[in-house]
Amino acid sequence: MKISVKWLKDYISFSIPVEKLAHKLTMAGLEVEKIEAVGDDTVLDLEITPNRPDCLNFQGIARELAAVLDKQLKKPKVKKMLPPKAKCEIEILDKKGCGRYIGTLIESVCVRESPSWLTVRLAALGNRTINNVVDITNFCLFENGQPLHAFDYDKLIGGRIVVRRARAGEKIVTLDGVERLLDPSILVIADAQRPVAIAGVMGGQETEVTEQTQRILLESAHFDPILIRKASRALGIKTDSSYRFERGVDFTTVESGAARAVSLILREANGTVVARKDAFPARPKARGKAIPVKMEDVNSLLGSDLSLAKCRTILKKLDFHVTKASANMMKVTAPSSRGDVKDPVDVIEEVARIVGYDNLPLTLPLIKAQNVPSQEDYPFINKVRDCLCGAGYSEIISYALISRDSLEKSGLSQLSGIKVVNPLSLDQEIMRPSLFPSMLAVVKGNVNRGQKDIKIFETGKTYRGKKEQKEVAIMMTGKVYHDWRRLENKNADFFDLKGIVQRVLTRAGIKDFICDPDENSMYQKNCGAKIMAGKKALGTFGQVDQDILQQWDIKHRTVFFAHIDLAQLFLLSSRKKAFQGISDFPAMTRDISVAVRQDVPYQKVMDIVSRQAGPLLENIAFLEEYRGEKIPQGYRGLIFSLTYQSPQRTLVEDEVNKVHGDITQALVDEIGGILR
Amino acid sequence: MLWDFEDIKEKAQKEIAASPDLDALEAVRIKYLGRKGLLPEIFASLATAPKEEKPLIGKGANILRNWLTQAIEDTKKGLQDSLQETTDKIDITLPGVAPESGHRHILTQIIDEICQIFVGLGFVVQEGPEMETEFHNFAALNIPVDHPSRDAFDTFYLESADPDNPNRNLLLRSHTSPGQIRIMEKYKPPLAVVIPGKVYRPDAVDASHSFMFHQIEGLLVDEAVKFSDLKGLLTVFCQRFFGENILMRFRPHFFPFTEPSAEVDISCYICNGKGCSVCGRKGWLEILGCGMVNPKVFAAVKYPKGKYTGLAFGMGVERMAMLKYGIHDIRIFFENDKRFLTQF
Repeated sequence: MKISVKWLKDYISFSIPVEKLAHKLTMAGLEVEKIEAVGDDTVLDLEITPNRPDCLNFQGIARELAAVLDKQLKKPKVKKMLPPKAKCEIEILDKKGCGRYIGTLIESVCVRESPSWLTVRLAALGNRTINNVVDITNFCLFENGQPLHAFDYDKLIGGRIVVRRARAGEKIVTLDGVERLLDPSILVIADAQRPVAIAGVMGGQETEVTEQTQRILLESAHFDPILIRKASRALGIKTDSSYRFERGVDFTTVESGAARAVSLILREANGTVVARKDAFPARPKARGKAIPVKMEDVNSLLGSDLSLAKCRTILKKLDFHVTKASANMMKVTAPSSRGDVKDPVDVIEEVARIVGYDNLPLTLPLIKAQNVPSQEDYPFINKVRDCLCGAGYSEIISYALISRDSLEKSGLSQLSGIKVVNPLSLDQEIMRPSLFPSMLAVVKGNVNRGQKDIKIFETGKTYRGKKEQKEVAIMMTGKVYHDWRRLENKNADFFDLKGIVQRVLTRAGIKDFICDPDENSMYQKNCGAKIMAGKKALGTFGQVDQDILQQWDIKHRTVFFAHIDLAQLFLLSSRKKAFQGISDFPAMTRDISVAVRQDVPYQKVMDIVSRQAGPLLENIAFLEEYRGEKIPQGYRGLIFSLTYQSPQRTLVEDEVNKVHGDITQALVDEIGGILR
Repeated sequence: MLWDFEDIKEKAQKEIAASPDLDALEAVRIKYLGRKGLLPEIFASLATAPKEEKPLIGKGANILRNWLTQAIEDTKKGLQDSLQETTDKIDITLPGVAPESGHRHILTQIIDEICQIFVGLGFVVQEGPEMETEFHNFAALNIPVDHPSRDAFDTFYLESADPDNPNRNLLLRSHTSPGQIRIMEKYKPPLAVVIPGKVYRPDAVDASHSFMFHQIEGLLVDEAVKFSDLKGLLTVFCQRFFGENILMRFRPHFFPFTEPSAEVDISCYICNGKGCSVCGRKGWLEILGCGMVNPKVFAAVKYPKGKYTGLAFGMGVERMAMLKYGIHDIRIFFENDKRFLTQF
């Protein structure tokens, strides 16, 4: 809401500089967003919060200022007139939609250019002048907040006004020259035949007041906020009038606003009032009901030590009625313009605002031990983040809304995601069911910007059905390490990815997990794995399918991806750690070099070794996989180093040889291993 | 005598000492000890030398030869050692090598930092769902349907139906405040909770708007929480987060779920309150919204009437990060450019 300082001085006298005025208004809750010099005037742009429609006019702001500066208000003089005997023809069919309608018929008006005092006032706020009658209606709207409308009475068919819902298919050309199709959700002002204005929003072109107009019908009315809001949204028209109606216009200004406008029209455009009607189907009280406010509540809520007298002074300045009910209690009645003040806390806020928040005391709260537990997985997820950061992976945050198209490009068309009903664009049409497309997009963006080596992760949610599931996703491509001392730095491969997956699981305290082949469409054939802990699948990882990379236009790269369900991981994670004694007795190391058939997995060899070794085995280290001339065709060589140790005694050579022999024999017997 | 051994020794000594490297030294050696060098010449002169001089020349030549051999050998060793030293010397100015370390995203760092400040004051961290009901996101927070106070909360709706109210759809929470309702539905006071998380609003993306961003909500409810406590708590927070010297002000504002309500401004970090383009010449930057919990919210979660008071606050994480690090474009948080990620 724009406020001209000169205009404001019509309603209250003050001499403080503009900056100080702006500060005072801001600190009372009417935030000054901008101060602008306009000619010899200054215009303040105020942010009026939606609870304060009473401040959407000069008199309302002057009232606030009167309380803040402790000054008297100046009220414009309105000539009292006896209402004419004749009545206008006004009929309200939607009594809920229109609570009051005052129509005043003025004849012999002289519609012409506005006087300069009026154009100057409106120009300061950036409003252009139209003619004296229309400008007066606008002036009154800014002065007291009552939207008004003037019709050319001779263009109203049947000379009557009907307030009703639009009929399906009815049309109106509004003042902005646009033809609008109406429907029964929209309240209109009609004449005997057709709509002539969209109630509270905008008038119609056919009945607008022009310099040819002889007789005008001035409308001052009250419309239902919700109805006006819906119409304004449905039609996409926001006007000074609709803005005020949807926030709530004071019932009492229907009358005072009409009187002020009529007196100005008679002054500036001559004319005679010949008929009037005050159609008032609903008759609310001028003031709300009395709110009992205990001083004890005021001071205990604010932490203050205010007196009843002080509160009463403040409230009276704001035009509240205050009666002292007892030594420590007052009864407060808000003016009709303050529909937002209904409860004791609302009154307390009024007092606090005018005293000034900065003038209220400051204390530290007493925070007690409480029943609310902290989010269980919060520290756990931070541990996962730290684990990945420690391994060289950087955390990303990507949008949880993605396009359908990006799912399809990622080989995930079988997933549907949760649709957004009102997306801004197709890029944000679904809640993502997987983090995979987002990770690919980030890799692609970085590669395009010349970043070749990427190791990233995200701890984010995926959304399926009604469930939000926390996941960690990892992606890498390019070199794993950078070291100027090496001639060749290796590109990331499957085992770099598997290593990081293992580290996350181990860090979570999950020791027993295996990798099953995964035929997921995301991965290259034979390069995908499912992470199984018992019967629970924790996630998958693998080398991203080349066709998918092509879809994303990520060229000449191998990319690796992993995702782990954090909720499952957290459930299975063991938070208990047991101390393992460190043996004081010497260890013995024996290597096994065995050639096995290509189709025998490493895991199988490991299982046999661990089973046979028994309690003497302290550690198995896998040293090497090799193929070459010395290995029979269809076989591969595996080398393990086994450490034997006892916590109680020094092992004897013979017993170690015996165990080691058993292991090697089992490898020969069970999987046809060839010892080397 | 034919040979002045003292003079020869003196000259040779100078030449050896002046040899800058092994090659020069070798030249000196050849000059004196080489096959056509001075010493063989001296020994050759014995044949024609007068008889009485022969033993003197022989003895002198032998002493000279031994001395020369030793002196050259010693110098050679010295030169070799210093050469070795130069070869072995490492260039300590070459870059060090360590495994690359990863970086936490600045937003999760800020969330942790803010939450930790409140945890230190006795709060606990909790989270709430992003897919919310209209009741939790709006109605329970005293934001009625079709009311202008909803204008600030444009909302994405989802195709899934609300399980509690099958006629209505679920929505993406437009603020973290529904987290307050979820906590109060489940727990009785005293409670002190911070709730970080993602929120969504259908705003066209530009330098200061994003359809997804992060907020942190705070809620403290007990039997005698006061507005002065709200001021004190947030003052402590701002001083810890922005520094002891930060200036603050509490400005009346409107939120349907708090009464009284306030916005907190801090003095502009660019101009220190003088007014500049970053703060729109106001000298102040708005950083959070707060207030005393509206009794209507307590009614919505069925707390007994009049028993409790509470304070609540909410802040935008991106905004805090932008203010703290002088970042001017909100989009950079979600572009995930490696050159951005590795700065924090």
